[in-house]
Amino acid sequence: MQLTIQSLIPLPLREKISARRSGIWNTELHFQAPEYIFIQAPSGTGKTTLIHSLYGLRKDFSGTIAWDEVSMSNKNAEQIADLRASNLSVIFQDMRLFPELSAWENLEVKRSLSNTVSEQEITEWMERLGVGDKKNALGSTLSYGEQQRIAIIRALLQPFQWILMDEPFSHLDKKNTELAAALILEVVQRNNAGLLLADLDENAFFPYQKTLFL
Amino acid sequence: MSQSIQLNILKKLLLRNKKSSRLLSAWIALCIGCTLLLVSVMIWSTFRELLHGRSSSDSLGSTFLTVSKSVTDESMADKKSTQLSAQDIALIKQAPQVQDVGILSPANFKVAASLGSGQLNFYTLLFLEAAPNRFMDKMPESWKWKEGDNTIPIILSRDFLNMYNYIFAPSQGLPLLSENSVKALGFTLTMGDGQQQANFRAQVEGFSDRISSVLVPQSFIDYGNKTFAGGGTAQVSRLIIKVGDPSNNAFVQFLEKNHYATNAEQLRFNKMRAIVEAVSGATGILAILLMGIGALVFVLFIELTLAQAQDSVKLLQQLGYSPQKLSRFLTARYIPIMLSALIVALIVAIVVRYFTAIKMTTLQLNISLLPDTTVWIAALLSGLILLFQIKHAIKRALQQ
Repeated sequence: MQLTIQSLIPLPLREKISARRSGIWNTELHFQAPEYIFIQAPSGTGKTTLIHSLYGLRKDFSGTIAWDEVSMSNKNAEQIADLRASNLSVIFQDMRLFPELSAWENLEVKRSLSNTVSEQEITEWMERLGVGDKKNALGSTLSYGEQQRIAIIRALLQPFQWILMDEPFSHLDKKNTELAAALILEVVQRNNAGLLLADLDENAFFPYQKTLFL
Repeated sequence: MSQSIQLNILKKLLLRNKKSSRLLSAWIALCIGCTLLLVSVMIWSTFRELLHGRSSSDSLGSTFLTVSKSVTDESMADKKSTQLSAQDIALIKQAPQVQDVGILSPANFKVAASLGSGQLNFYTLLFLEAAPNRFMDKMPESWKWKEGDNTIPIILSRDFLNMYNYIFAPSQGLPLLSENSVKALGFTLTMGDGQQQANFRAQVEGFSDRISSVLVPQSFIDYGNKTFAGGGTAQVSRLIIKVGDPSNNAFVQFLEKNHYATNAEQLRFNKMRAIVEAVSGATGILAILLMGIGALVFVLFIELTLAQAQDSVKLLQQLGYSPQKLSRFLTARYIPIMLSALIVALIVAIVVRYFTAIKMTTLQLNISLLPDTTVWIAALLSGLILLFQIKHAIKRALQQ
């Protein structure tokens, strides 16, 4: 699956962007899965805006974002839902769990959509990331670190050709980050998918093939 | 298995309006609205059935009138002043509300009826008339006559029998006659006078509420006028007409302007009908209004529930749940609730109709025990409108 970005400028950041050079804004880029891309983005440069625009949550930009040459702005709600359910996964910076559901239900709500990962695998992955004992804890009672690990597992419970990550390890210590990154890499490879990670600082969570500055 | 877990989770996320009393009130509002609508549609259609029906016991809804020219002080002297010309007939055909016109053909020859046995020794001069079959409210199977037949079927105005039983018989010391006993009696009819005289047997076959006359089949009148009255053109002086609304002002004014007289009793009935129609119309408007409010309350309840779950709706869509999938889930939840309200309303309508029909039978008015098609169509239509409104409300909530 190919990602094409052409002359992309988010409208709220227009003036800020024109004042400085960027490897992404207002250029033309083509990424082909299974590429591993790292986007280094200091605070306030539009990292979350980029991820949200790529994922179809924002439409306030000029230029084009196209998945397999179909522009995001030409897709209707059903097509976007289909893209998210079976081709494009995401780990949000703000985790976005349902506070009224347990950790298990938060995962089940995603898993049951495509039914491609077994319940047993979820249990194993929770154990691997150290949240095996949090199955029945409500989303609202989990710590940020626990929420982030649940959000990471949730992103892996669907078939995908690209996974977008917005500071996915911001609440995790080094050891947990390594565990989570290893799990992500394993599932990305299994799906033969591409990954695109946006973060503040340089890192070596994944074997990136391209690094771009926002 | 995983489908049912998913449904449970969606229920938790989207239908978390914890106050079930609110759902109950919304349901009751919808139920009352639907019930009032269906019952008032039924009242309206029952009246229609009674007013326009052709059943034999229908006595409310005669929209048939007999029309003749008024006899005034001035026209008294002229025997022909009551005759209706071809122009008169054409004019009446064009009159407002008139749907059909038929000629009441009179016998232009002398007729005498006699009954000669025991206590009932009876002789009277009589008149005969024939009406086109499509205007008859009673059509016994024996209602036919052809040349050579010796027995003539007769349909008598019920008014005549009533007058005999309540006024004439008591004053003359004659026995009372039930309808069946009159039907059992055989009269002798003597037609014509002088050389061209003939006797026929006559049998009363039924009683009419619609036409105040002594009716025989058209074929007999035609034969009689040819044989006993010299075959001249029969003069028309009475018409029977079918009218939409006889109390209609334009129609009443037309009659007055042209000096036509009708059986005014029917007009009185139809004034009553106009009142009944106005009342059932007003009930209908009120019912539609209440149905609208009921539907609004229910739809607002759905919107409120979904507004409370708006964050969940958004996040579910971000996770890849399609609007169609969510809409299907929500529709599957609310449609049975809506349908149950409609079914309760229908049951109430059926029960009301059943008891009304039984009550009506005691008043000699026959209506079917089950609601008629109009009610079912109304139920179907309200179901479809509600379905559309619910789907629309869900769609709107999912798009926000």
